[in-house]
Amino acid sequence: MPVSPLVEITFALSAALILISSLAVVLIKNPVRATLLLILSFLPTSLVYILLQASFVGILQILVYAGAIMMLFTFVIMMINPAPKGGESPLAGVESAFTGLRGAVIGLLLVGVAGALLIPQVYRAAAQLPVEPVTKPGFGELSSIAAMLFEDPSNNPLTVSFELISFLILVGIIAALNFSRRKGAAPAKVDSISTRPTETLPVIKREPALDRKPA
Amino acid sequence: MNFPHVFTLPNCLALSLTLVLIGSYGVFRRRSLIMILLSVEVMLNGVNLSMVSFNFFRWGTQESSHYLYMLSIGVAAVEAAVGLSMIIVLFKNYNDITRERVAHLGERA
Repeated sequence: MPVSPLVEITFALSAALILISSLAVVLIKNPVRATLLLILSFLPTSLVYILLQASFVGILQILVYAGAIMMLFTFVIMMINPAPKGGESPLAGVESAFTGLRGAVIGLLLVGVAGALLIPQVYRAAAQLPVEPVTKPGFGELSSIAAMLFEDPSNNPLTVSFELISFLILVGIIAALNFSRRKGAAPAKVDSISTRPTETLPVIKREPALDRKPA
Repeated sequence: MNFPHVFTLPNCLALSLTLVLIGSYGVFRRRSLIMILLSVEVMLNGVNLSMVSFNFFRWGTQESSHYLYMLSIGVAAVEAAVGLSMIIVLFKNYNDITRERVAHLGERA
């Protein structure tokens, strides 16, 4: 594979930016800044995808991931606005700082040891794999992905799983609606569904006081 | 020009493994549920990167990983929506979204 200096430099800078901003996401205190840093780490990730001849995936990373999912996070964080809680007494602050420091050291040791054990293994295993460069003409182009996406399921069983994502999204919508339902709204709906003859159907009125007439 | 060859499969895999480790550190360390969800997104990003780099360097005959990437962001979107709505309900009921509060959900506040 020919070595292009532009590709190498772009990959190295993107990897450095991804690592720095992802570390900052994990370490920074302010949640809004963490979300914006995660969006910042998605931009060089999409650049790496484009280097990997996956331009459509790179565009999806920006449009769907950074544009939609992270926007949801930012919206929720700004809506509930979790205030940082300060310690009341200085002793409690010192104690929490000590436990925080201990936890940070333990976590860094855990992750560092795991990385030091795993990364050489990754290099050793990947060095034994022969590189088979891209042979398909038009690899990663939209027409090629679309042809694979809408293939006959007998040729490519992955297409069925892609359609099944819609059911997952449906379940997610139902779950989110169920979570957001207010407590007072549940019994009225059950009564209207049961349609027992002793109960009158609820009359839809704008004023809530008119609904609770004494029987 | 003797330029170092850094755009290789082991480097891509090491980058994705480091992202997964950074995300797991965040999952273990952060107290806020929102930050735990953000760390899970960092881990998912690393996994997606490993899939796409495997496809480019090893199996250049079909774009299976692009497919799996779309599957993965679909699952990530649903996970974020359900998780954030759960966080909103927790915040409305308890005014607290730390890990310690959620660990005692069954008890009387």
